[in-house]
This record gives sequence, C-alpha cells and structure tokens, in this order.
Amino acid sequence: MRWVLLLLALATPARAEDPALARLMQGFAAQPRSEARFSEEKAIPELDLPLPSQGTLRWQAPDRLEKHTTSPIDEVLRVEGGRLLYERPDRGIRREFGLDEQPEMRALVEAVRSTLAGDLAVLRHHYEIGFTPERPDAPWRMVLTPLSIRVRAAVQRILVSGRGPQIRSIETEGGGGVTRMQINP
Amino acid sequence: MRRLVAALLVLAALGGALGALVGVRADLAEFLPAGRSPASAFLFRELQSGAATTLLLAGIEGAEPAELARVSRETAAGLRASGRFDFVGDGTVTIDEGEQALLFRYRYLLSPETQPEAFSAAALRPKLEALLEGLRSAASPLLARFGFADPTGAFLGLARAFLAESRLEVRDGAWFAREGPPRALLIARARGGAGLDAEAQGQAVATFRTAFEAARPGGARLLLSGPGVFASEAARSIRADVRLITLASGGLLAAFLLWRYRSLLLLGLVAVPLAAGTIAGFAVTALVFGGKVQGIALGFGMTMLGVTVDYPILLASLRRAEEGLDAAARRIWPTLRLAAASAATGLAAMLGSGFPGLVQLGIFAGTGLLVAAATTRWVLPWLVPGARIAARPLPGPIRAALGLLRGRPRLAGGMVLGAGLLLAALGGPSWQRDLAALSPVPREAQALDGELRHQLGAPDVRVLFALGPGTEAEVLAASERLAEAVAPLLGTAPERLQPGRDPPGGPADATGPQGKAASSAPGTGGALDAIDLPSRYLPAEATQRARQSALPSPEAAQAALAEAMAGLPFRPTAFAPFLAALGESRALPPLTAATLAAEAPTLAARLSPLLSRRGEAVQGVALAQGVRDPAALAAVAQRLGDPRILFIDVKAETEGLLDAYGRATLLWALAGGVLVLGLLALGLRSPGRALRVAGPIGGSLLVTLAVLTLLGEALTLFHLASLLLLAGLAIDYSLFLAGDATDDTVGAILNCVVSTLLTFGLLAFCQTPVLHGIGLTVSIGVASAFLLACALAPRPHPHA
Repeated sequence: MRWVLLLLALATPARAEDPALARLMQGFAAQPRSEARFSEEKAIPELDLPLPSQGTLRWQAPDRLEKHTTSPIDEVLRVEGGRLLYERPDRGIRREFGLDEQPEMRALVEAVRSTLAGDLAVLRHHYEIGFTPERPDAPWRMVLTPLSIRVRAAVQRILVSGRGPQIRSIETEGGGGVTRMQINP
Repeated sequence: MRRLVAALLVLAALGGALGALVGVRADLAEFLPAGRSPASAFLFRELQSGAATTLLLAGIEGAEPAELARVSRETAAGLRASGRFDFVGDGTVTIDEGEQALLFRYRYLLSPETQPEAFSAAALRPKLEALLEGLRSAASPLLARFGFADPTGAFLGLARAFLAESRLEVRDGAWFAREGPPRALLIARARGGAGLDAEAQGQAVATFRTAFEAARPGGARLLLSGPGVFASEAARSIRADVRLITLASGGLLAAFLLWRYRSLLLLGLVAVPLAAGTIAGFAVTALVFGGKVQGIALGFGMTMLGVTVDYPILLASLRRAEEGLDAAARRIWPTLRLAAASAATGLAAMLGSGFPGLVQLGIFAGTGLLVAAATTRWVLPWLVPGARIAARPLPGPIRAALGLLRGRPRLAGGMVLGAGLLLAALGGPSWQRDLAALSPVPREAQALDGELRHQLGAPDVRVLFALGPGTEAEVLAASERLAEAVAPLLGTAPERLQPGRDPPGGPADATGPQGKAASSAPGTGGALDAIDLPSRYLPAEATQRARQSALPSPEAAQAALAEAMAGLPFRPTAFAPFLAALGESRALPPLTAATLAAEAPTLAARLSPLLSRRGEAVQGVALAQGVRDPAALAAVAQRLGDPRILFIDVKAETEGLLDAYGRATLLWALAGGVLVLGLLALGLRSPGRALRVAGPIGGSLLVTLAVLTLLGEALTLFHLASLLLLAGLAIDYSLFLAGDATDDTVGAILNCVVSTLLTFGLLAFCQTPVLHGIGLTVSIGVASAFLLACALAPRPHPHA
C-alpha cells in the first residue's frame, strides 16, 4: 500500500507551467512600452457612493510604471526599480521611499508591473495565480491571491483580465471594499 | 654579577605581583576631570555611563548586496534572540501588530492634536473632507483601514514620529549606506538604559560578533563601532601597539648599548633602576588612588621613566679608569641628585593641573625618577662592585663635529632667537581644543565611527539639554516646557503632526520619510532644524490627563460628528469605531515609560536613550540637530531659568574645559620652572651658573614648540607633559656638560641622547594620537637640548 502511495506521489507532476499563460507573458515581454487611459471606481463599505477617478497609465520596460490620476485630483504614483515616488503637484508634495519598506504596496505594484513586464517568476513570488485562457467570447483572467499573510490582511484578491497582451481591467478586493479599474488602450 | 641577576629576578617578581594586585582602568572618561560646572559634570557622567555607552554601530561589507542583506538580517535576528539588546535596527524595523495596537489605543493621549476644539463639528468637518479626499488618492488602502476609527489622523502621525529613520535606503530588508561600496548597516542598543560599565560593554560587543559569525558571513566583514568597542577593543589594539614599540625600541636600545659599551653587564645595570623606578611609581600611585591606576597614566608613565636609563649610562661612562663604581657614584652624585630632583620638581607641576590623569602621571613619574636615581647611587655599586665598563671612544668625525660645536654661545643664541621669531611669525603654538584628539582611540577607529554615524543618521551630539533629575512626570514636564520654548526657533512649528493640512496624501504616510516630528527643511532660517525630546514620544502624565479631559462626551461627540458629516457620502455608522475609541480613551490610565517598555519594546527603544533612570531619579536629555545658532538656544535656557533644564554646548563645553586645564597646567609648569631655577641656584650655589644651566633647557623648549607648530601639531595636555619630561632630560645634559666637560662626558651624554631618541623616536610613528604626540615632542626636544647644551658648553682644553 505504501509503495502505491509513493508511486502515485512520484507520478504527480511538480507544477506544470500553463503554456497559454507562458505565451501571454511572452506577448507582454515583447512590448517595451505602452500607454493607456484608465477609469477607476473605489467602493468602500463606509461610503454611500463609489469614488471615481481617471487618468493615464504608462509603462516603460524594464521596470518603470506610472499612474497619473488627473481627475478629480492630480496625483502621480511612479515606480522605478525599488523606489516609489508619490507626487501631488497642486500641494507641492513629493515623497520617495523604498518599495521594500511597504510589502503591501510592493505586492500591488508587482501585480501590474510584472504582468506588463511578462515576468512570471516575480508574479509567482508574490501571488498564487489562477489562470483562465482567452476565448473568443471572453477575455483571459488571472486571479492573484497574495502569498504573504501580512499582505493578505490588506488585499485579499486581485483579478486581472485582458485581451492579448493588453490589460483591460484590474479588480482589487481588500478590507471589505473593491476597486475596479477599466483600462482603455 | 650574581647579585645583579638576583636583583633583576626580585624586581620581576615584584612587578608581576603588583600587576596582579592593582587594577588598571582603561576608559578615557576616568582620565578626565569630573567637571567644574554642572554642564560639564553632566557631560562627563554621560560619557562615562550614559545611554551613549549602550550604542553599537555596525557595517557589513565585502560581498554582493543580496548576501550582505542576508547576513545583516540573520545577525539582527541573532541579536534579538540573545535578549541582550533593547533595540536592534536593521531595516526590518516595523511596528508589529501588538505595538501598533498599543499606539492605536493611546492615540488621543499621546497625540498633541488632542484639544477640546479638535472635536467640534467645525474642526471635524475639514478632517472628514480630507479623509474623503485621501480615500480617492493612492493612500486609500491605508486610510480605509485606519481612517474610520481615527478620522483626525492621530495614529498615523504618531506612527510616523516613532519610525523616524526610514530615510535610510532599504534593500532586501536591510539598511544600506547611500554612498560608497555596498555596505549593510545595523544599529543596536544594549540592554541597560542608564549606561554600561566596561565589562558589560565588552559582553555586548562579544554577543554582536557571535551573532555575526552565526550568520555564516563567508567573505563579508563586520565593521563595529561605538563606545563599547572603543573601551574594549581599541584599548587592546593600543596595548598591542605599545607592546610592539616597546619590544622594537628595547631591541634597538640593547643593540646600540652593546655596540657602544661591548658589555652585557651594562644592559643589566640599565634595567635595574628602570624596573625599580617603575615598580615604585606604580605602587605609590596605586596607594594614593585607592588601588586603581589609569591605563594611560601607566603607559605614559612607563614611557617617561625610559629617561632613567640615562642614570646608569652616565654612571658607567663617567667612571674614571682608576675608580671603582662606588667611588664614581659618590663623585657624580651631587650633579645626578640635582638633575633628578629638578626633573621631579618639574613633573610636580602636573600635580597642580587638577586633571586626574595628569596628577596620576606626575606622581608616577616623579616617584619613579627619584627611586631610579637613588637606585643608581646606592644599589648599582653594591650589585656589581667590581664592574669595569667603559664606552668605546666616539668615532673621530663625530668627535670633531662636536668639538667644533662647543663653545659657540652665539650659535645657540641665534638658534633660540630664530625659533622664537618663527614661533611669533606662526602666531604662537596652536592649542588642541578637540577632546577626540586626547582620546586613546586610534584615528581610523574614530573615522569609522564618524562614517557609520553619518550613514546611519545617528545624531552627532553637539548641542543638548539635560533635563532633570526628578521624577518621570517632572522630567517629562520639563521636556514639554522646553519644547514650547524652542518651538519659535524651529523652521516650522514643533510636534505638529499635520494630518489635516497635509492630508494623508501618500502611502508614505505609513512610515513616511518625513519621520522627525519637529523637522523642517534645512535653511528655513531657524536657529535649529529639529530637537529630539523625550516628551515627543511620551507626554507627561499631567498632559495625558489634560488630553483625556479634553475629549468630548459620547453624546457631544455624536452630535458634532453628525453635524460634520452632513452632506458627505459617509454612511451613518461609518465612524462608530471612532466614537467607541473616544469613550475608551477617557478611561485609560496614563501611559508610563514602564508600560511602554513592557508592551512595546521597539517604541520604548526610541524613548530610552532620551530618558533614563539613575537610581531613584530620572534623567532626561534633549538632542538638538542642525543647530545654526547655539547662542539662541542658550538664551532659551536662560530665559526659562528652569532648574531642571540645563543647556549644554558639548563642543564649547569640552573646549572650554580643555582650555582651562591647559592654562592651569601651563601656569603650574611655569611655577615649576621657577622652582627648578631656584633649586639649581641652590645646588650650584650661584644664580649665574643656574641661569647658564637653564639656558639650554628654556632654549630647547622654545625650539621644540617652534618645530611642533611648524609641523602643524596642535598641542594637547600630553604635549605639555612631554615638555615637562623634556625639561627633566635637558637638565641632565646641561648640568653634566656645564662643568669642564671632557670628550668622555660629551660621549656619555651623546649615548644618553641616542638612547632616548631610539625609544621616543619610534613612538612618533605610532597611530595613537597621544603616543605620537609624546614621541615627536621628546625626540625634537632631546636633539635640540643636546645641541644647545653642547654649543653653550666651554670649549674643550686642547688635550683633554
């Protein structure tokens, strides 16, 4: 009996790389830069209404990602390497700090950045990935569950979906609220 | 011969027993005076046993950054596990859940924002609007988590104040230096908030090294600094330095004497007075100072006693062919006695300096000199009654050169005059006013300490306020009075954690880079940039109670909140956690340092260096940073006139102290000089001859000062002490050369001079500032004293 169990254990593949996911990542890796408009809605349980915002997303390989919100407030969130820059030009606020100091923020950044970079290894470092390939009638979907318990206290789940090597929407669930971002290339 | 060997054995045994019986103290603080003003007294107590003594700074370098980060993290984990450290900072410092909860629970008692009007509808309205706007921004996850229980932002402001040093760069969970080759940085505070003795410091250092080794460092190197390292390890390296120099100079000296005298017996003769003098000096000093001798006094004193090798050399060389050693000793004794007595009198000047280390040194060296002279007179002839030691004649060219030099008072006068003019042109000798130069810590170690301090952003303590002593409540209240008085001098208002004005805009607010509560951009024109006060972390009990009574009743809070929320998209129950927290806060017992230490050690580590317990009383300290106008701060303290607030300008205080002791020592040295002159006049029975003997001494002092100044050496107390020693040596040369000196006498003196140069010349190459200064001073002085004494000596008889 024990032999059978052992054989069964050996027969199970370690973790097969999903070929469709790998292909998608290659597609992302082939795009060194991209720019898109986004609109976002934050639903917070303590608020009656969702909070809308809009702006632009810019990506530049290998590691620079910028989220520029233009309405209703003007703010810039830019990551490059391990540094994060936050700017509120209207208030003269400019702050820079290390992503390593903020594991929650790092996880949120990598969900988008390593996807755009096509870097599956980094993505897997932070998340367990549930991938559904693209079909003619439906976009591909990635359900990202944070591996770190600390991060999971703030962010329970991120849902990324898109068409081809383009992200179309990001849904972030955390603390009883949901943030939905639509991206229009 | 047998007697000589027996004597040497007895001396060795005595020395060994004494060394085992008497403790040697190693720290510089004990070498320094206790301080005359309350400010300097506080300063030196802090140096000796203050919170600063618990600090260890470390750098890890010599590997790839990722590997350095791993070693740093594991070393820090080992340090935390050892239980010997109150605080270990390595880049992984975050406030853990339990500590966060404590801070959150006490937020309204700790936050300076807690005022009655802060909870009115009018004050809450902009806070709620700011919260709403913050929720739209990138900081929304953070605000969604804390904002509804804390819409005024009290907690985030506190967290930011406590996590002050996130200005450091973090890579892979370790702090790294911003410039230079990759270097991971760690800071640790050993347990024992009120300071550590040398032994406990040594244990902390050893624990640190063990934790580093346990982290499998591979090729990575640990650079460790801090007072504990200075006390234990630097002292050991200095001892090694001294031992090497002693061996090298001893070897050179022995080789030289063997060459000049071709006699092993002479080496034994030289050793006896030296050993006897050292042992006597050590014993008397230990007796006077209650069984303890300061390490620097011992080391320096032994070096000074190196001059006593002159006595047996003179005795052996000046013996006439037909004389026994006893007869020779009897003949030269009046001169030898005068020389030793004058030198000891000169050293007595140190007794009046009031500087404990120098007083020890004076007693040590003075006793040693007299005992060595007496040993030469009475013991040596008895040990080797039949000794027949004679120096080889001087090599011809040297004898001719010395012969030419003799009897040229004008040359000597010109040399001294030139030195005087040079000194005047250079603006007189420069006086070392930096305490660090007196420190026995080698320069590289001091430089490393400065570098690590700079990279870690540890405060470079220049200006501080002593608070207390008193009860914890009294000291914290004093700290709050000071905060209020200093506020107008800061670039911006102090302790303003501005969640309202600068809405929790960025994610940076969690552990934002703008950590210092009272920080401002440098150059905004304030007298200082920031001040780190104990009350910044822990308000006084009275203040906490006042804040509690400023909190609104549940009904009033409910009503104000309802009014403030009107028209905003918050659900009616959104702020229920806030209302509950207000009720809970009113019932909390005020937070004390003890509770903070028990429940939140990381937070307590921020407070402990600023607030320490000394027996019954509590002593606080406030550190000012980026001070541009110390006088303005001094004026603040004076205006307050508070007995528990004392302003201390560390640099000015130590400089003033060193100046005062320098002046005192100089005055005593002058007095000693006059005394020596009197003694010489008495001994030589003629003031004129006394002046002639004193001429080369004064002249060589002047020449030495001029050369030292020319070399850019700033004079320390140790230079002064060396000058006194030099005067003692110059007296020997001058006295023996002043009479009808034969070539033999000149040769004997030259042998003495070369012996001294061999010993002290090597010291000039030492890295330890103190030893270097002594070596240089004595070498220059001895050479010039000999040349001057020669030039002033009468011309030799044609066939002498």
